[in-house]
Amino acid sequence: MATPRIIVVGGGLAGLAAVIKIAEAGGTVDLFSIVPVKRSHSVCAQGGINAAKNLKGEGDTTAQHFDDTIYGGDFLANQTPVKGMCESAPAIIDLLDRMGVPFNRTPEGLLDFRRFGGTLYHRTAFAGATTGQQLLYALDEQVRRYESEGRVKKYEGWEFLSAVIDAKGVARGITALDLRSMELRSFAASAVILATGGIGAIFGKSTNSVVCTGSAQSAVFQQGVYYANGEFIQVHPTSIPGEDKLRLMSESARGEGGRVWVPRTQGDNRLAKQIPDSERFYFLEEWYPKYGNLVPRDVATRAIHKVVYELGLGLDRQPMVYLDLTHLDRETLDRKLGGILEIYEKFVGVDPHVEPMKIFPGMHYTMGGLWVDFNQMTNIPGIFACGECEYQYHGANRLGANSLVSCIFGGFQAGPNAMKYAKSAPAVEGDGGAAAELTRQSGINAELIKSEGTENPFRLWRELGTAMTEHATVIRQNKGLKQADDKILELLDRYKKINLSDRSQWANTSFAFTRQLKNMLELSRTITLGAILRDESRGAHYKPEFPERNDAQFLKTSKASFTGCVQGPRIEYEDVDTQFIKPRPRRYDAVK
Amino acid sequence: MATAQSPAAPPTHDLGSGVQPLRAGEGTSFIWRKLHSLSGIVPIGAFLIEHIVSNWEAVKGPVAYGQQVYFLNHLPLVRVLEWVFIFIPLLYHGVYGVYIWLRGQANLVYYPWAGNWLYVTQRYTGLFAFVYIGYHVATQRFMGVDLPNHPAAAFWKVQHELANPWILAFYVVAMIAVCWHFAYGVWLFAAKWGITPGEAARRRFAWVCLVGGVLLAAMGLASIHAFVSQKYSNAPENPLLSYQKTENREQRIEIKGRRAGIKDQRAGVRARSAMIAVRVGLAAGVDC
Amino acid sequence: MASKTVQFEIKRQASPDAPAVWERFELEWRPGMNVISSMMEIAANPVTAEGKPTTPITYDSNCLEEICGSCAMRINGRARMACSALVDKLEQPIRVEPLSKFPLVRDLQVDRSVLFENLMRVKAWVPVDGTYDLGAGPRVYPQQQEANYPLSNCISCTCCMEVCPQFNEATGFVGAATIAQVRLFNNHPTGKVLKEDRLRALAGDGGIQECGYAQNCVEACPKQIPLTNAIADVGRDVLGQKIKDWLRG
Repeated sequence: MATPRIIVVGGGLAGLAAVIKIAEAGGTVDLFSIVPVKRSHSVCAQGGINAAKNLKGEGDTTAQHFDDTIYGGDFLANQTPVKGMCESAPAIIDLLDRMGVPFNRTPEGLLDFRRFGGTLYHRTAFAGATTGQQLLYALDEQVRRYESEGRVKKYEGWEFLSAVIDAKGVARGITALDLRSMELRSFAASAVILATGGIGAIFGKSTNSVVCTGSAQSAVFQQGVYYANGEFIQVHPTSIPGEDKLRLMSESARGEGGRVWVPRTQGDNRLAKQIPDSERFYFLEEWYPKYGNLVPRDVATRAIHKVVYELGLGLDRQPMVYLDLTHLDRETLDRKLGGILEIYEKFVGVDPHVEPMKIFPGMHYTMGGLWVDFNQMTNIPGIFACGECEYQYHGANRLGANSLVSCIFGGFQAGPNAMKYAKSAPAVEGDGGAAAELTRQSGINAELIKSEGTENPFRLWRELGTAMTEHATVIRQNKGLKQADDKILELLDRYKKINLSDRSQWANTSFAFTRQLKNMLELSRTITLGAILRDESRGAHYKPEFPERNDAQFLKTSKASFTGCVQGPRIEYEDVDTQFIKPRPRRYDAVK
Repeated sequence: MATAQSPAAPPTHDLGSGVQPLRAGEGTSFIWRKLHSLSGIVPIGAFLIEHIVSNWEAVKGPVAYGQQVYFLNHLPLVRVLEWVFIFIPLLYHGVYGVYIWLRGQANLVYYPWAGNWLYVTQRYTGLFAFVYIGYHVATQRFMGVDLPNHPAAAFWKVQHELANPWILAFYVVAMIAVCWHFAYGVWLFAAKWGITPGEAARRRFAWVCLVGGVLLAAMGLASIHAFVSQKYSNAPENPLLSYQKTENREQRIEIKGRRAGIKDQRAGVRARSAMIAVRVGLAAGVDC
Repeated sequence: MASKTVQFEIKRQASPDAPAVWERFELEWRPGMNVISSMMEIAANPVTAEGKPTTPITYDSNCLEEICGSCAMRINGRARMACSALVDKLEQPIRVEPLSKFPLVRDLQVDRSVLFENLMRVKAWVPVDGTYDLGAGPRVYPQQQEANYPLSNCISCTCCMEVCPQFNEATGFVGAATIAQVRLFNNHPTGKVLKEDRLRALAGDGGIQECGYAQNCVEACPKQIPLTNAIADVGRDVLGQKIKDWLRG
């Protein structure tokens, strides 16, 4: 039998991890990525990667990592895959180390670990403050090696448009658009792995990269794949507000001893260093003495929100608080956090060694994503998903430094499982539906290119972002969520009158963006409707109207399916696998 | 693998070819480029130092200068040495250097940084030096009085040349250009051959090169000054001839031996035969 | 009160074979704006300063945090990352052009794949035996980590290549970024196994010998990678390898 040909869409950590496993097992891969894979969003991960290696004599175990992850995710994650991930994490770190990731070291030459949010252990391996970049490069280099051996063919600058699905509902390939020549093509494969990352663009400004639109997830969602737990959106407590995006200020800043505070008195506009310690309100340390500044992200974010909006203690009455590193030794800071401090200084123009940074929460990550089974396969046979674009590992809230490990672990699962599937998949009949799908796609393209409306796609996008950020992030009210959903419906309607200011057939970025926008709009309704229906507070999903977790009704995965009608996605619920750890109340003001 | 094409593929455009990727392990440019770099140090750089040190004799006057020229021209296999260690390397260094320059793409306008200035300066000083050396070798080595056979006329010949203020200016600028090119060339050599891989090492070595370059240039300029100074104005075509009138033969030989720093008898003998050769040559009227 | 504005002049070219034209834009000033946010603004309102409707600008960008290496372009003549080019720190009108040494696709977008090709030709990877669990990696002391980490920070933005007078079609020079990666992998305890291959590759045409040591690379590098040090070290190693090969060959 011929070697299975597998398509991987997305060249971030998860996608590359899958590619490596497939190539190693003798398969061949067509790798699709909008940007050159080395420029994928994974490079933005800063702080580190979790693994219970217990190299600090604290008695850390993979069981403890598993418990922290489940507890941090407010028991919404299926426990079997999370357990597998936590148990594999130490070996993944070893592998990355062998691949040459320049992890920080102890004097003995061993891996150094730091603390991160939601745990009391030093469990996070790190390479300065650019861990994601270093990890991605290590995988990129391995993939380049396979590329040189002819096992991998890269399609960089191609955008995934849809899956090719045959009459029996089995995926047989994809259609994709060459963003340079605007050529539309279909590609056949025995299996397709989506590793297409986050959906930050739905919120307008976020910590995500420009390509993180969720367009690919939305496309297959509209073709019948379930979208699970869409309402769980992580808002990172510490980001740097900017004109074009919210730049991340890593949790590692707090992991290395950074303290969050505001002046105790409203309107105290003295310089930070003139305010004595007694007049500083270290609210995280006061409210959560056990975890202090290292409470999980959802908890820290809500605390900052409260300090700013309820207590009115924001700096200069702006939505900002201090993240203070000035008490720490400069040399250590540069060695362990150099990369992020440089970003702050470059973009804000203030030296964080000398003055506390001014930060505010920003949309960061989606815990929800494409529904997959424990083999990383979606409900459409032949379509797999791994990385941030699927929902499996983080429940209702992701712990810092768990995303990198979930990406690589997910890829390492998806790759071999796709190979296994490909070897036993029934033979394709005819073209597997490729011609029909191409016709559908070229129809959409033709329609779009000749549209002569009045709506600018970039302005519609901004309106979407504003509505979603206002109503579907930190604090959620059913009324606001409804407003956001109505807004999406309005935008979907206005989308019909879209005006492409560029009709050329060469490197037309407006065209590509406008196609993405449609998908963003469709996908965003899984967030608003999912949130409206979930009348409880769990992890990152917080409704003041329903401040308590409601396990009886909502210890369930929400599964959205596309209907194509105005009512929006249909949402059903599925039981959560809780066979290893019994759900218990989640509190960070005391020992768990 | 594509299974189907879209019905109407849009017109496509060809991208320019751009800079080609590395021809890993192929071609011979490495050796030629390294030879170019090395030849600037040895033999050319070494010869430059020798030449400037020899010129320094001019400061001591026409006689000393003539004797130095004589000495050099009587090294064993001197014509072979001259071609193998001077002319051919110079020609190669110059021609290949121009080739390197032509393939570079200076961008000082946008990036006026120190290293970039030096990069550009190295090319201009190199070209200037090459033109100058061509002229200098042609006029001083191959035209006019044949110095290898008439070393005593060296001072006179140079002085005549430098009497022209334009040529004098040319020499002065060339002296500075050559020393600059050499000093920075040494620094570049150390950097590119990995002798000074550290920032601080390169900074320190830059001072060494600067001092060395200034010293060489100063010596060179002092020599030029000697040729045009009042002290030796109107130097005789053969300084040894006037010298002969005032001293008896034995004294002359002794002084000659001392000046050349040669103490032993053989040197004396060689010096004496030189005198004889000069006189015979003069008597025969070969000189002019 | 008339609001403060920002002036841009952007070089447009609809395709590789189309003529280049300059377009002027005038945007409302906002605190903290940078070149990318300005171009996002233009996309939302694609009208030139003269009031003529135009197309949104085509350019590469992704992370906007100067870590993905996408948005390198020439701003006021100099190659740099557009995301970190803060408008308040630039002289106006801000002139934006594509990188000049790479094949132009459209507007500010160029094809920089030559760098990735070069990385492949020097085998810039650690050849691990496999991804299965083989235990911990080699011990690396903090000093080694601190020496390698800066080299590993290269974001492939190609600024070092753009500003290099020797990187052009005549020389086919490989550029500083690839040389620094050779240094990185030759330093790694396992990566070393391919050291000789990498050094031999770099002695090929377009190899390290083409460096003119103008040192623009190190000035332009947004990540302050010690590129000139790497070139010196690798230059010595390549020569050593060639001499060894000549003597043993």
